[in-house]
Amino acid sequence: MSDLAFLSPSLASAVDGVSPRYRSPLEHALAGAGDALRDLSTLGKLEVRRELDAALEAGAPEVVRIAPNRTLVLCEAEAAPALAAQLGAVDVSAALAGLALSGERLMRRLTDLDLDGLPAMGAVAGIQCTVLRDEDEFRLFFAQEYGDHVAAVVLDAMAGLR
Amino acid sequence: MRLPAQPGERLDRTRPLTFTFEGATVEAFEGDTIASALYAGGRRVFSRSFKYHRPRGLLCCTGSCPNCLMQVDGAPGIRACIEPARAGAVVRAQNVLGSLDRDALAVIGKIGGPFTPVGFYYRTMIRPRWAWPYYEKVLRNLAGLGRVDRHGRRTRRFDTEHRRTQVLVIGGSEGGVTAARAAAAAGEQVVLVDEGLSLELGGLDELGIEVVAPARAIGIYEGGLVPVDAGNVLLRFRAERIVVATGSLDQPLVFPGNDLVGVMLPNGIRRLVREWALRPGERAVVIAPAVEPIVDDLRAAGTEVARVFDLNERPPKEIVARGRKGRLASVRVDGETVACDLLVMSSGRQPAYSLLAQAGARIEYDAATGIFVPRDLPANVEAAGSVAGTSHAVPNLFPASAGKRRFVCLCEDVTTKDVRRAIAEGFDSLELAKRYTTVTMGPCQGRLCHLASVRLYARETGSDEAAIGTTTARPPWSPVTLGLLAGRGHEPVKHTSLHRRHEELGARMMWAGAWRRVHSYGDPAEETRAVHRAVGVIDVSTLGKLVVSGPDAVAFLERLYPNRFVDLKPGRIRYGVLGTDAGRIMDDGTIGRLSEQQLYVTTTSTGAEAVLEWFEWWNAVWRMDVEIVDVTGALAAVNVAGPNARELLGRLTELDVSPDGFRYLDLKEAPVAGTPCLLLRIGFVGELGYEIHCPSPLAEHLWDTLLERGADLGVRPFGLEAQRILRLEKQHIIVGQDTDSESNAIDAGMPWIVKLDKEDFVGKWALEHLQERGPRERLVGFELDGAAVPAEGSQVVVAGRPAGRVTSARWSDELQRSIGLAWVPPALAEEGSRLEIRLNGSLQPAVVRARPFFDPEGTRLRS
Repeated sequence: MSDLAFLSPSLASAVDGVSPRYRSPLEHALAGAGDALRDLSTLGKLEVRRELDAALEAGAPEVVRIAPNRTLVLCEAEAAPALAAQLGAVDVSAALAGLALSGERLMRRLTDLDLDGLPAMGAVAGIQCTVLRDEDEFRLFFAQEYGDHVAAVVLDAMAGLR
Repeated sequence: MRLPAQPGERLDRTRPLTFTFEGATVEAFEGDTIASALYAGGRRVFSRSFKYHRPRGLLCCTGSCPNCLMQVDGAPGIRACIEPARAGAVVRAQNVLGSLDRDALAVIGKIGGPFTPVGFYYRTMIRPRWAWPYYEKVLRNLAGLGRVDRHGRRTRRFDTEHRRTQVLVIGGSEGGVTAARAAAAAGEQVVLVDEGLSLELGGLDELGIEVVAPARAIGIYEGGLVPVDAGNVLLRFRAERIVVATGSLDQPLVFPGNDLVGVMLPNGIRRLVREWALRPGERAVVIAPAVEPIVDDLRAAGTEVARVFDLNERPPKEIVARGRKGRLASVRVDGETVACDLLVMSSGRQPAYSLLAQAGARIEYDAATGIFVPRDLPANVEAAGSVAGTSHAVPNLFPASAGKRRFVCLCEDVTTKDVRRAIAEGFDSLELAKRYTTVTMGPCQGRLCHLASVRLYARETGSDEAAIGTTTARPPWSPVTLGLLAGRGHEPVKHTSLHRRHEELGARMMWAGAWRRVHSYGDPAEETRAVHRAVGVIDVSTLGKLVVSGPDAVAFLERLYPNRFVDLKPGRIRYGVLGTDAGRIMDDGTIGRLSEQQLYVTTTSTGAEAVLEWFEWWNAVWRMDVEIVDVTGALAAVNVAGPNARELLGRLTELDVSPDGFRYLDLKEAPVAGTPCLLLRIGFVGELGYEIHCPSPLAEHLWDTLLERGADLGVRPFGLEAQRILRLEKQHIIVGQDTDSESNAIDAGMPWIVKLDKEDFVGKWALEHLQERGPRERLVGFELDGAAVPAEGSQVVVAGRPAGRVTSARWSDELQRSIGLAWVPPALAEEGSRLEIRLNGSLQPAVVRARPFFDPEGTRLRS
């Protein structure tokens, strides 16, 4: 069995004293955007394709149920490979970008999801996202290749509210 | 001239402001609309009609009619009677040549009448056919609703906001406010949307009711979706319960001269007098069912009420309005002529039921009240106030009198005669006649013409209103600017993790599905040379990538592909062509075996999503023990190709990269430049090459290291254009470019892929059939005699007849020849066959090449 190490960016190692530089998919787009937005892309993210039993759940830092047999687990970046092995999960740290923003009004400009019914999956800025909510803060996780696009749409919506 | 302050007027006389109309300064107060300020300044002609350019004045003052459409700050079709006067606004008349008062195009109304009946352009302007574009231009200029600046760009910002509420009340009429209060008292979350015409909305916010005004509901869609035009923001409401309180609309009478300036509807009078303190005229005649409030309004304004005809008492048999230069001068009613400059007329009020009809209500004619009323409302929709059908209108009011035009539809200048003519021509159903005459299709959307046109139809066809019925109500109920619907116009776009690097290198980008990819870094020919002579690197992160694992993983792929995979050993790769049930080529890519139960599948860049869906579909159908994980975005990929590729890779990894240690079609997992990678030795571009897949956040590091450490080896990034030339030299196909939805692997020259001796696979039956039938055309390489390059899609000609098509063609610097791929008849698919290709109108000789143009033995690829 392959452990699919090539999916885990946290397994990078230094060569000749040079460590591979980790680039968040939002890093370029959010440069100079101020601190209203937080980049969560560097978090460890795991996708579990079956029902998580309670014991494992207790050990995982944050568990987001997407469907009965599909769960997103958020953890420290370095913990991802080991936790993936433990849970029999796929390390999707590199696949998903993460963005935290605040303000219900801003979210209403970005999505037609029911903001009182989160967490949920749905289109934000036109892109399929997993959306979590803590009071007035919202966290979005989405395919990293849309990072520039989502950042641009969010920044534009913020400009429209100023 | 203003009247003394009126109780409840909208004006704030302490706050004057000015704007310009046709360049002249207009004085206004805060609270004025553009129309009320112009009226106060003495203006009476507000527009010229659509077809005949007749002068038109204020009629409804409620945004229901087309009579005050103007151009405001460059935007055409603005209803001046509800558009707030803003300091510095630039207002212009539209659809005129000259000025509103002297419109040169008014000549059409004077002499054109007999020649321009309804639908005239369908009959008289169709010959000669080629001249239609010119006719169309002329017509567009003569008739129309303002001018759109063709070079205009986004001048205003429009946003979209998604809202939810328990109760949405549309309309701040008395019924709407009552419903809103009741819902709020019951503890429900309530939003009330009002056009801004209602005066009594104060105090509602204290009850917890959110008032959105001025704003207009555009329509009611399924799921309780109500888009609301709130000026610069489109509010998309989702409501559990919708209360429609849009009220009722004044219905005009149809009689000769009913469009003269000075003929007005009762509500217009009310607004002019009570809200803007204006005197609507000096001497008035009133013809309406409920006359007292109108007379009160007129007396309040100091207008002399010369004569009142109460329709509830005795409907007149004859009404004729006469004018001078388009302005009302007198009215004759049943033989009695009264001089006047104002005629207030109405046949009653009709419920504004359109939104209810859109929501699914049935609209029924009520003979007792003479109006159409909404019935059988859907469960989540209610009607409050007069929209529910509490008003009435006097039916059958077409006072018989010969002569002048009687307008049924002011928006499109359609007269009773036009409608009669349409009926005579056979347009005998209301829906058909609507499309032919365009009655109800203008800016008023039937507000003032629907009831009248149904009545006219009933009378002319000897039927009744109930039998004629209504036309279908569709959004938008209120005119809406396209900019608002377009919103911010963000188009989803995918960037690879190396996007910034490509930008820094000055790459020319191109679309590949939703992806932005590198076309070239400036010199594609030079880029191909680097691949042939040294080493090139190309960003292929856009490839679709799937991990297929589980006990049934191999069996699953066996059933999906025509290829065989049971004998594919761990660590080895095979090229695969994915086919549909009909044996047609759907996608292609490589399948590598990571372990006994894990396979790594790559797809084309644009086919990734379709392939994933296809895999998941079949996995659900077959219920095999297989898990499919899409890792397309998780992994970036760089193809390193060229004679120096081995040397470069060897510098970055401890892996044995010797020809025996890392063979052609081997698959390896190993760190490269410190990043965990999956390496595939494959060769789309025909040289020794490695595809390196790594976690996307580390892609820039890998790329930078490759360029840095390969500098002395002549490394150079190359783009899609160079890749297309290189793969063409090898006759490697691109699915979707060289194949279409009809192509199959056998005809496309890859019969070795199709294993018909396998048990079963998707499309097997079809491929067996194709095999039996034999090919109808074949995909082959060709070489042109000259240096010209045919366009993709060029015709292949054999013996003067079209016999095929070119799918790809490029100039190869390496071969110093023009080469390509083409579909040709099977008889010509032999090495050396001659054919011709149509190129710039002439025929260019070409010769078929059955084997790759470059390195036909594949020795460089396998080196």
